[in-house]
Amino acid sequence: MSSGHLLSSPVVAAAGGFTPALVTFLLYTLAVFSLAIIANHLRKGSDFLSEYFIGNRGLGVWAFALTFAATSASGGSFTGFPSKIYSHGWILGLWIGSYIVFPICTMGFIGKRLNQVARRSGAITVPDVIRDRFRSASFGLLAVALIVFFMSFNLIAQFKAGSLMLKTLLDGVAVFESATDYLGASLGGLSFFEGVDPAYLLCLLGFGLAVVAYTTYGGFQAVVWTDVMQGIVMVCGVIVMLPLALYLVGQQAPEGVGSLEHATLRMAEMSPPRKGTATFLSPTPLEEGASLDKGAWILASGAAEGAEARLFRIIDDSGGVAAGTGWPGVKGLEITTVGDREQVLKNEGDRVRRDLTLGELALEDYAYGAEEGRKGVYVTGPGPSPSSDAGFLPLSLVISFFFMWAISGSGQPSSMVRLMAFNNTVTLRRSIFTVAIYYSLIYFPLVIIFCCARVLMPGMDAESDRIMPAMAVFLTENVGAGWLAGLLIAAPFAAVMSTVDSFLLMISSGLVRDIYQRNMNPGASERRLKWLSYLFTLVVGAAALLGAVNPPQFLQDIIVYTGSGLAACFLAPVVYAIYWPRSNVEGCMAGMLGGFAAHLSMYVGGIWANGSFFRPYRLMEFDPIIVGLLVSFVAGYVVTRLGPPPPEDLVRKYFHKSGSSSGA
Amino acid sequence: MNAPENNPEPENTPWDPVFLDSRREAFIILMLWVAALLWAVPYCYLNGFPDTFDENEFSTVWGIPSWLFWGIAVPWLLADVFTLWFCFFYMKDGDLGEDAPAEAETAAGEVSP
Repeated sequence: MSSGHLLSSPVVAAAGGFTPALVTFLLYTLAVFSLAIIANHLRKGSDFLSEYFIGNRGLGVWAFALTFAATSASGGSFTGFPSKIYSHGWILGLWIGSYIVFPICTMGFIGKRLNQVARRSGAITVPDVIRDRFRSASFGLLAVALIVFFMSFNLIAQFKAGSLMLKTLLDGVAVFESATDYLGASLGGLSFFEGVDPAYLLCLLGFGLAVVAYTTYGGFQAVVWTDVMQGIVMVCGVIVMLPLALYLVGQQAPEGVGSLEHATLRMAEMSPPRKGTATFLSPTPLEEGASLDKGAWILASGAAEGAEARLFRIIDDSGGVAAGTGWPGVKGLEITTVGDREQVLKNEGDRVRRDLTLGELALEDYAYGAEEGRKGVYVTGPGPSPSSDAGFLPLSLVISFFFMWAISGSGQPSSMVRLMAFNNTVTLRRSIFTVAIYYSLIYFPLVIIFCCARVLMPGMDAESDRIMPAMAVFLTENVGAGWLAGLLIAAPFAAVMSTVDSFLLMISSGLVRDIYQRNMNPGASERRLKWLSYLFTLVVGAAALLGAVNPPQFLQDIIVYTGSGLAACFLAPVVYAIYWPRSNVEGCMAGMLGGFAAHLSMYVGGIWANGSFFRPYRLMEFDPIIVGLLVSFVAGYVVTRLGPPPPEDLVRKYFHKSGSSSGA
Repeated sequence: MNAPENNPEPENTPWDPVFLDSRREAFIILMLWVAALLWAVPYCYLNGFPDTFDENEFSTVWGIPSWLFWGIAVPWLLADVFTLWFCFFYMKDGDLGEDAPAEAETAAGEVSP
């Protein structure tokens, strides 16, 4: 199986019926639903809200460790991250540099103390903690508003990511294509669905309904146990892929040269591809409608006598449109590295079209890394970049990303709520170490696997988002184990699912617990709260699903904006709340609002400075998260110092040994 | 963040040991993050960001570019060893307490102690 074949036809080749990937997906979905049903039956019924939203603080080591790890590792870990490794090379090892200490920072920094404070206040959500710790309903409502604001956008983006992944998985499967045709015909004429790809819509419905259904039905326990399964699938996927990738690269290596060393030395020779448009001329007149399909490879010689043949891949979604004896202005990618060209010709063989000549060319070089004769750009920093002349990862961004992962990861409310759910400190200690090993087994190996992908499957630069499933199929089929592809492709799917279900529950808990029960109807019956929890989870999920029918364009940018925004709002107030007895409501509210405003202003500044909200203004070249966190911590400290001391009974309750009526 | 100077010290009520342990552990974790930053970023920047790439100077360790091996892979391993020590030999266990009932409140949302 070749990479070219992968782009022009289904990722998992279907023989018209059930493929290994489809079978895997169905089994996987079945397992998820089974777990949700079991979780629902196991619910003890003592306190519905506590059980539904936080599992009665009963998580043991494996449940806590894997739900924490799986929620933190969003779909980006298995789609965006491999894509970036493929596109920029070894520098991604530094990009994720702070994952060195990610588990101990995100779990150990606030975990034990946050869990204790949540117990003393009886809190089951993050806004709950904030509200009770400062005895301020308005502060709690501010926290709910920010969580709902950020997470709703994020949820829509994650729904889109999951649907696109499912579409890749099912593309070309006969049953799926028939259903797509039927859906397309049924929706014709409905303005809401105008311009929506029926295949995407079908996947959105399949993915969305599955996640909403099992989350609604099973609540936190279902989310946790499906997270455990998803976490296992993720790590198994990586553990299987790593030796396969090294084995296949090793087959190309000269004697005495190790597999990975061969891959690195090949990467050192690579130069970035050129992207743009080209005119391809046929020696014979073309039939009307003759097309150059997306993904096709063309080895075309120049018009001049003796000109060297150049290798192109078609990346035009519509394919080239024939005109006379050629295809003018076809979008393509030119492979510029000799070794890559040889690899493609070897992979593709007769599928490379060689009868065309080149006409007019309009190709663009990368902004960084494409200088004539330059080598080593994929094995050193800052890495090649198509758009920035400072490269992919200049020093300022290296530092920013060190903050971004470990520090901003500590400030995610979705992680905080898990830190409120473990059963005792022994579980916390063991879980931190478990997650440290778990992440070590996933992230650095991913860098190795997709550096190998660059060598094994050149020419995927224009569709690097599909490198994960494409590589899974390439690896398994080349070692005669195609059935394994389904398991490997399930890994990124699992990652998206585990993030979506957690966010869904965060939003519905905010609405039911923090707004309805604590502000509108404190005396609401257990039965009413139960049905409202089901209803809100369902409604929030359905709303996100509808939002994702016509999703915003900047998927990854939204995820980055919301993740860093939540950290800028929540980290400083929560750290002050649990570690600083002198902290008061004025200071922590100022920290939350200050972080929100500073972070947002960097993005709004991007509209003027860079022409887009999602290309934020970088103060001294640093990412907005650093500005947001700095302002949040400083504002929180200064305003607290200027304000009155907190009430004595609150300090006693949360900071002193005998301060709690429940006894600490 | 020391004990609040303006905060009236409740009589005969010592600071909660879980609070004190957690705060000390949090400080150590913060220092670990700083140490990781001070190792990884300068090392990788000084050794992995050459002005011009020289094939003869470029080296690998087990196939990984040496600047990344010593700048990220090795500290990653050491951080795991540190985590092992921290979790099993340093971090203190403590009684986190039982769930307290949520604070009483009025229908209007005003919380009362």
